[in-house]
Order: sequence, then C-alpha cells, then structure tokens
Amino acid sequence: MASDVLTTGSPAAAAAGPEPAIVAAGLRKTFGPINAVDGIDLELAPGRIYGLLGPNGSGKTTLIRLLVGLAHPTSGEARVLGQPMPSRAGLGRIGYMTQSDGIYGELSVWENIRFFAALYGVRDQATLEEALSVVDLLDRRSTIVNDLSGGLRRRLSLACALVHRPAILFLDEPTVGIDPALRIQFWEHFRRLSREGVTLLVSSHVMDEADRCDELLLMQAGRVIARGTGDELRAAAGATTLEEVFLQAAGVDAPAPVGDGAPSTTPPGTGPPGAAP
Amino acid sequence: MNLRRVGALTRRIVEGMRRDHRSMALIVVVPIVVIGLLAWVIREQETIDVRLAVVNEAGAAAQPLADAIGDEAVAADMELVTPAAETRDGVVDCLEAETCDAGVVIPSDYATQIAADASPTIEIVTLGVAAGTEGSTAERVARVVASAFTSFLPPGVPVPSVEASTVYGTADGDVVTSFAPVFVAYFGYFFVFILTGVSFLRERLGGTLERLLATPISRAEIVSGYNTGFGIFAALQVALLLTFTLMSVQVPAIGPLPSFSIGLGVPTAGSPVLAFTIALLLALGAVSLGIFLSTFARTELQVIQFIPLVIVPQGLLGGIFWPVDALPPILQPIAMLLPVTHAVDALRSVMIAGADLATRTVQVDMLYLVLVAAFFVVLASRTIRREVA
Repeated sequence: MASDVLTTGSPAAAAAGPEPAIVAAGLRKTFGPINAVDGIDLELAPGRIYGLLGPNGSGKTTLIRLLVGLAHPTSGEARVLGQPMPSRAGLGRIGYMTQSDGIYGELSVWENIRFFAALYGVRDQATLEEALSVVDLLDRRSTIVNDLSGGLRRRLSLACALVHRPAILFLDEPTVGIDPALRIQFWEHFRRLSREGVTLLVSSHVMDEADRCDELLLMQAGRVIARGTGDELRAAAGATTLEEVFLQAAGVDAPAPVGDGAPSTTPPGTGPPGAAP
Repeated sequence: MNLRRVGALTRRIVEGMRRDHRSMALIVVVPIVVIGLLAWVIREQETIDVRLAVVNEAGAAAQPLADAIGDEAVAADMELVTPAAETRDGVVDCLEAETCDAGVVIPSDYATQIAADASPTIEIVTLGVAAGTEGSTAERVARVVASAFTSFLPPGVPVPSVEASTVYGTADGDVVTSFAPVFVAYFGYFFVFILTGVSFLRERLGGTLERLLATPISRAEIVSGYNTGFGIFAALQVALLLTFTLMSVQVPAIGPLPSFSIGLGVPTAGSPVLAFTIALLLALGAVSLGIFLSTFARTELQVIQFIPLVIVPQGLLGGIFWPVDALPPILQPIAMLLPVTHAVDALRSVMIAGADLATRTVQVDMLYLVLVAAFFVVLASRTIRREVA
C-alpha cells in the first residue's frame, strides 16, 4: 500500500554526518499546469549512492535539473554542497551526465574529453586518460564520435561527466544502451567513487541496478513517495521484487500524504522511524 | 571571464569545423565561385544584336535625317530592317513579327514642327515585354538618333564633345569595381550567420548546451568563445575574398584553353587592411546574431528560414544595388539601422574614394558596426539561459 511505503524511514541517512551533500526544501517546479516537481524535501548524505526510480514523467529529470541548477525552482530551495542552486559557484564540483549524450559528434573521443576537462580547468593528460580508461575507451581516443556505436557514446558521455573528479555526480539514466558486462563495470566504478566520498544520484529504470544503490528514492507524480533500501521498500510494499514496488507506485493515482498534508517524504534524521507493517 | 575556458571553446569550434569539409568549402570555395561568376557575367556580357527599322512618315523633308540615323545605326553595329509599310504601324507589325527589335519613327508633322521652331518628337518604339534588354536597346537607339542630329547643326556651330569623367575611381571602371567590395562583406555576413546559427542550434538540440551550462563556463564566456572561434573562420573567409577581389594573375593560354585571369583585379584606392577590418566587424555581428536567432528555431531548416527574413532585406536595403538615398523615404531610416548599410558605405569610401581611418564617415560607420556587434553579444548572452527546457 502506498501509505505504508511512504512512511518508511531512512536509518542510514539519519546516521550520516552533519553536512548533507544535497538538500531540497519544499522544492517545486511547474510547467504551466503541470507540477513536474511537486514539493520535495530531501537530505542526501555524502559518499552514498542514491537511486532515483519512477515511471516516465514522474519528474526524475526535472528534479536532477533543479539540483544541478539548470532550472529555477518555482518555489522552494535546492542546495548542493551548501551552495544554493542555481549558482555557478558550485558547478565545478558537480558532474552531470545528461539523458542525451551531450557530446560533440564531429570531434574525436579525445577532443571531447579534453574540451569538457578544460572547462573545469583540468588539463593534465593522465587525468584525461584515466577517465577514458574507466569507460574502456582509451584505445579509441582518436575515433570520431559519429563513428562510435550508441553504447560507446554513452561511455564517453560518462567519462566527460567525471573527468574533473566531482564531489557529486548526477547521472540521468547512465546505463541506457549499455551491455550487461559494461554495466557491471560502471557500477563497480560508481561504488569505488562512493568509497572515495563521492555522492551519486542515479536515475534508472533497470531494477537490478536499483539494488546496487545504498538507498532508493521512489518518485511518482513529482513527489518522492518512498525512500529506503531495496529491502526496506520491498518489505514496506509487501512485494518480493522491486519491480512490483515500482508497478505499485506507477499504479496508484496519488500518494495520500500522512498527517497534516506535509511533504511526501519524511525528512531523514528528523522524522520518526517508519511504521513497519 | 576565464580566458582558458573561452580558449577551450574556441579550440573545440576550430577542431569541429576543420573536420566538416563541406562547411570549409562553404567558407572558402563557394563565395569565390559566386563572385567570380558574377564578375564574369558582368564583364564579358555580349552586346545584344539590334535589328532597327527606321520609318519616315514626313516624306522628303525628313529624308536626310532618316538617312543619317540609318548611317549612325550601321556605324553602331546595328542591322537595318525595312518594314513592310513605311509607317508607325509597319514598325509595330515588324516588332510583333519579331523581325526587328526596335523602330525609329519620324512623325508626319516633323516638317511643320521645324518650321514653327518647335521641337519635333522622334519616337523610339520597342515591344515592351522585356524591360531590361529593351531598355538598354532603346538607350542605344537614342544615342544613335542624338548623334544623327548633330550632323544637322548649322555650319559654323562647333559640335560639342561630351566626355565622361569621374571624381573617384577610373572612367573605365566597370560595375564589378563597385559591386565586388561590398559583396565581400555581404558574403562574409551571410555565411557566418548560417554557420553560427546552425552550429548553436545543434548545441541546443544535441544536449551539449545543457551540459555546458552544468559546467562553470559562463554565458558571456560561451558567446566570447563562439565569437573567437567563428571569428577565425570569418577572418579567413573575408581575407580570401578580398585577396581574390583585389589580385589579378593572368594565366597564359595553354593549348586549346584560352588565356584567363585569376582574381578580379579590382583596384582599391584605400587600405586593404582597413577594408578587411570593416568586413570582419560586420561578420562578427553575424556570430551573435546567429546565436540569438537560433533561440527561435527548433530545427536547422528554421534557421535557414531566417535568411529571407534577416539577410536578404539587408542585401536589398543596404545600398549594395541602389543607393540608400534613392530608397522610398519610409525605408531610408530602416536602411540606416542595418549593419550592412554601414559596412557597404565604409567599404565603398575606403576602396573607391580612398578614405582612411581619419575620415569621419568611416569612423562613424565602423563605430556603428562595433555597437551592433556588442548589442547582439549582450542579447545572445541573455538568451542562453541556464534554464533551457
């Protein structure tokens, strides 16, 4: 039941350090009559991998764009690394992999990575090579991007997002069009980054990926309707797979907020632990 | 403003363009072909053969005049045709049958007019279906009639000689001399607009702008990078065009090929470097204009659709073909707002009248071009929002 899922607390986040990496307070974004993001309160701890799940049009990309500062919130506030967004000041420590590849087709792999690195002030050749080797593109460095397959472009797009070693990585469906072997490689790298203290927010449709996240945020109709580990979400929904949780979320019309119509998520660390079924 | 980021963007544009062979050809080859063709068409124009019918409705009194016109016509390489009837109607029939191209009619009241000391009217008749060629034919016939008249001046009156002279340029300068310099600037403007408009639209559509805006680069740095990157290609194009316009290398005839010259050999009275600077200033205005207008386009086709709206009117109003003073009064102030008008004015002053940087009008024109470029830089920066969707 949606209301059960909703109250699932987040003990892990509660235990996190005092300075959250990402904060959203009453974050709202409307496009005409559509509430793309409909009042989200979040605190995400540094050094963890957060998965952003939800059906198409549930507001995942808009939430990420608000956090990166590519959109102005209609109301509410987003803060990343203590910096209110949109602001250019914090962008040097943020990496963003867009849903579309966002790389230059007429340039070579190397020219692309060098360009994006230069925008962050990174010119050291070894750093660039390292970013390419993470995505296994080092031996294709002189290939023109237009001659690459879709999966290879996706890899380059990821490399361009992490070449400057950001403290926070926003990845909008990073593994679309990527074969399973490489997907495992991607996730191993994400895990390595998180151990180094990088915060990752990854949106995805792929459910087996969701279980690799430290914590999941389930979005529906512009709200975060549930938050917790994969096991917690499954338990709360009485489901055996995340797929069911997901389908349940997509099936419900609107989440009935608990209590006095407060924000749809319980702010981590402050709210009471979830009423387990 | 971080110059390294601007430099990175400039470098990216240069690297991308270098790979795009078609665009490079657009920059280098196409304008030279078009200007070369234009010069060829204007300079090597064939004289159209004119078949002239001279009819005298005034009888013997005007026969010496009719004969004189006939002689002058033959001297001017025209072919004389005798219409079926020696009347105006005969000329009309012959024009309609396309057996002659123009007719001269000496009216029946010619003798009485002369006797009354009035000025007789000689009529030049053409069909009136092809304004351009008939106009020049009628003009040539009018010259023939005029010179025929001089032979009728009373003895003792000296025949006045008419001589054409010009203050600037040379009397033997042709239309190419006045067109080529301004075409250099106009082509630069046109191509740079297409290149930046389409290229920035791709940036928007391909998601790279979204990504750029998520990096520390500022909007001003993006516009500056674009201006420098495409400025390099604009400079390359303008320099090539100007060189092609000014130089003339004669290639001797080899075997069956006739001798020809590379370059237009247009003389310049002023500094070529100053002319280059003016054309470049105009082209730089097109960079930011392209970025700005790409905001209002959703496809590359829609960028192309701005050409008849933004570029062609400037060609018509900018003083390239007709002087701005000759435009209808309502259009004149509009023309004065257009950057092309000022570039054309400054370029003609420099290349034909030999003006330099100390010339007031050149200063004003160049200042205006700088202001227009700056205005669109600001406007373009404003249209690049962090918020793209």
